[in-house]
Amino acid sequence: MSIKLIKDHPILDFGHEEKKMVTFTFDNKEMKGFEDDPIAAALHANGIQVYRITPKTERPRGFFCAIGKCSSCFMIVDGVPNVRTCVTPLKAGMKVETQKGRGVLKSEEGEER
Amino acid sequence: MVSKRVDVAVIGGGVHGCSTAYHLAKKGFKTALFERDYISSGSSGRSAAGLRYQFGTEVNIRLAQYNMKCLKSLGEDLHYPGDLEYDPAGYLWIAYSESQLAQLEKNVKLQNELGTTGSKVLTVKGIQEVAPFLNTEGMLGASFNQEDGHINPHTLCFAYADAAKALGVEINKKITVTGLISKGGQVAGIHTNKGDWEADAVVCCAGAWTQNIGRWVDLDIPVIPERHQILITEPVERMKHPMTLCLDDGSYWKQCPNGTFMLGVGKEEVKDTSFYASWDYLEAATERILPKMPILEHIRVVRQWTGPYGNTPDFQAIVGATPVEGFYIDCGWSGHGLQFAPSVGRIMAEIVNGEKPFIDVSMFRYSRFEEGDLFFEPACI
Amino acid sequence: MQTTEILVIGGGPAGLSAALEAASLGADVTVLDSDLKLGGQLIKQTHKFFGSKAEYAGTRGFEIANFLFDEIEKYKTLGKLKVFTNTTATGYYKEDGVVSYMVGEEKYGRIKPQKLVFATGAQERLIPFVNNDMPGVYGAGAIQTLMNVYGIVPGEKVLMIGAGNIGLIVSYQLMQAGIKIAGIVEAMPKIGGYWVHAAKIRRLGVPIYLQHTIKEALGNNVVEGAVIQEVNNCFQPVGDPMEVECDTICLAVGLTPTCELLWSAGCEMKFVPQLCGYVARRDPMMRTSHPDIWVAGDAAGIEEASAAMVEGRIAGLSAVASLNHVSQETFYDRSAEYHQRLENLRAGEVGEKIRSGLSCVCCKQWG
Repeated sequence: MSIKLIKDHPILDFGHEEKKMVTFTFDNKEMKGFEDDPIAAALHANGIQVYRITPKTERPRGFFCAIGKCSSCFMIVDGVPNVRTCVTPLKAGMKVETQKGRGVLKSEEGEER
Repeated sequence: MVSKRVDVAVIGGGVHGCSTAYHLAKKGFKTALFERDYISSGSSGRSAAGLRYQFGTEVNIRLAQYNMKCLKSLGEDLHYPGDLEYDPAGYLWIAYSESQLAQLEKNVKLQNELGTTGSKVLTVKGIQEVAPFLNTEGMLGASFNQEDGHINPHTLCFAYADAAKALGVEINKKITVTGLISKGGQVAGIHTNKGDWEADAVVCCAGAWTQNIGRWVDLDIPVIPERHQILITEPVERMKHPMTLCLDDGSYWKQCPNGTFMLGVGKEEVKDTSFYASWDYLEAATERILPKMPILEHIRVVRQWTGPYGNTPDFQAIVGATPVEGFYIDCGWSGHGLQFAPSVGRIMAEIVNGEKPFIDVSMFRYSRFEEGDLFFEPACI
Repeated sequence: MQTTEILVIGGGPAGLSAALEAASLGADVTVLDSDLKLGGQLIKQTHKFFGSKAEYAGTRGFEIANFLFDEIEKYKTLGKLKVFTNTTATGYYKEDGVVSYMVGEEKYGRIKPQKLVFATGAQERLIPFVNNDMPGVYGAGAIQTLMNVYGIVPGEKVLMIGAGNIGLIVSYQLMQAGIKIAGIVEAMPKIGGYWVHAAKIRRLGVPIYLQHTIKEALGNNVVEGAVIQEVNNCFQPVGDPMEVECDTICLAVGLTPTCELLWSAGCEMKFVPQLCGYVARRDPMMRTSHPDIWVAGDAAGIEEASAAMVEGRIAGLSAVASLNHVSQETFYDRSAEYHQRLENLRAGEVGEKIRSGLSCVCCKQWG
């Protein structure tokens, strides 16, 4: 899937050409995004809008406030749940996963108990 | 202003005040309850709300048996439509020294003898079975009861308050009691910022704030407030983990039904009723608990609050009549009072009614301090 | 423990202005901002500002931000200013005035400032409708972040809820970015924003549905459409619901001040509808009831960035003055200038709501 970027803007220059493109995974699928952009923004550019599924009513949630306040965009990042992806910078090799429910804590060895 | 008249005025909208008012109303007393802020706004709503059979003296074990029996079905019995979040997740008391372990063994033995069969002593291997996420380093053993657990302290208060109201109790919120009315050396009502209420009896359930009220009738009630703090984390999926208390440093933690963890630690604290939290508590609690529960490494603390204990010289409650006629107190429960609301609310109503309490609580009498007959409970933190 | 003379929480227009003012007077200043980039809402604003030259009239918001950043760099180089982004202030400990913070998602820290400026900005409001939690329903600030900061297409066709200034400006910005506007829905019988913004949008043929509300977002997992309906003067639905084709719903239904830390600090707070929520009571120098705490910008009441920047200047000036770092002459000159600028910004009919709101929370001086 192509990345949905704004190409020609009459006022703004986003400097996309100078930014570093990195590879990360979303639910084990490889994707590309700009390094240090918010994870949520990179996902949106890849056409991903559902970031988590709520615990009780299992409703999809995604981007909403973009300032780290609303908890709508919580995801599992590198195994850690409840990460505010709208204010967490994307890094190469990050493992981003849809969070189903409240998120599960994992022990050092990474095993779920 | 014309003063109002009731049989009994209860000061304090915490869980003891609400339960006492409910039991008074059940006995037919015209009762009014007075709360300065909202129901559960003091120490009750700020408590960790642990529930346990595990005590170390006969009276507390007997009271606990009654409490635990009531709490199991309290929501239904009080016709409370909300959720008390009663959660028998178990309660683990962990010993780090031989003497601590010996005391826990003694406590369990007494509990078993008095009919609390669910309490047992666990080896380190046993601890790992009931709490698989613990790092057991340094632990020597524990006492455990699977039927112990915790509850939502707010809804517990609301349930009693609503049930009391349904029986005709006047629940006065946002009213501050400003004094006690005395007539001929006897308490005959209360002054408030919204007028006076005449009453034949006044029951003070003001917790850590009791000393101020006692002064109005020249009683020096030895209840010293002490700040205690609690941390709350973000919610995560429920894990197999009982409420846990470590006797080496008083650190404790539990997972609430909504998935959040509640954390605390024993620490020297200021002796006042302030509601302001401190960062050194945040750091002390997390530094102590993380090595014991390493799986919490990535969890974030999202809230911190305070609530005062009311400590007496022996850290046990003062329950019953006082030298001032018409003035009764139920206070000084240090950190374990919430769970005693079912039994002690009933007992306060019995005492006001002139009955013999259904469990003998004379060791909690007000005069014991003067008599030098202090009462120690080994299972008290 | 980390210390600083002045701690500014929030690096938007108000916070940066406060920091620059304080640094310009020689104070040692630290700024914390929860976002990845400094500048708050300013860096998302592509429209030209109004007002006088002092207020950067005719300059676009993001360009103003760049001016501020240049100045910030200057004071950073001089060693007077430290800026930490992606750093969320998480607590104010009243006992000793320590502020705790979180860097990123995990790293904890704390700092002890002598004086504090809370410039924590605002949060978006939400309105109730069926499926308002569905991905594709985004706040106006979030849409601006995606398209104006990161250059990412937020959607193909956007239904805008709210015809206040933000709704109108963001609609125009979306069109600039090549995105279609399905329409603008406004519950009131008239447009709330400036006429000049509305006229631009009308010229481009965008329907503005006055006295309409959104009833439902359609879709399974993400927004695939919306249902809107006419409302009467009492906001009760009348007439037939109408389906609107869109893949994104943008909520521009107002903001509310972010004030949690002010509550924690025990500052006297008051609910003022004209300022859009709970705000701290303050004196003319933006000092709250807590003698070490100042407030500025949207956190002090929802207004525009121009006023936020002047408020920031005032708060910064007063905070440094309280440390005895400012000569009386400088203090009075600058104070008079800033208050004059605020008065100009709040003059006339457009400033009426703000003026009446401020009259509820401003005291002449703390007793």
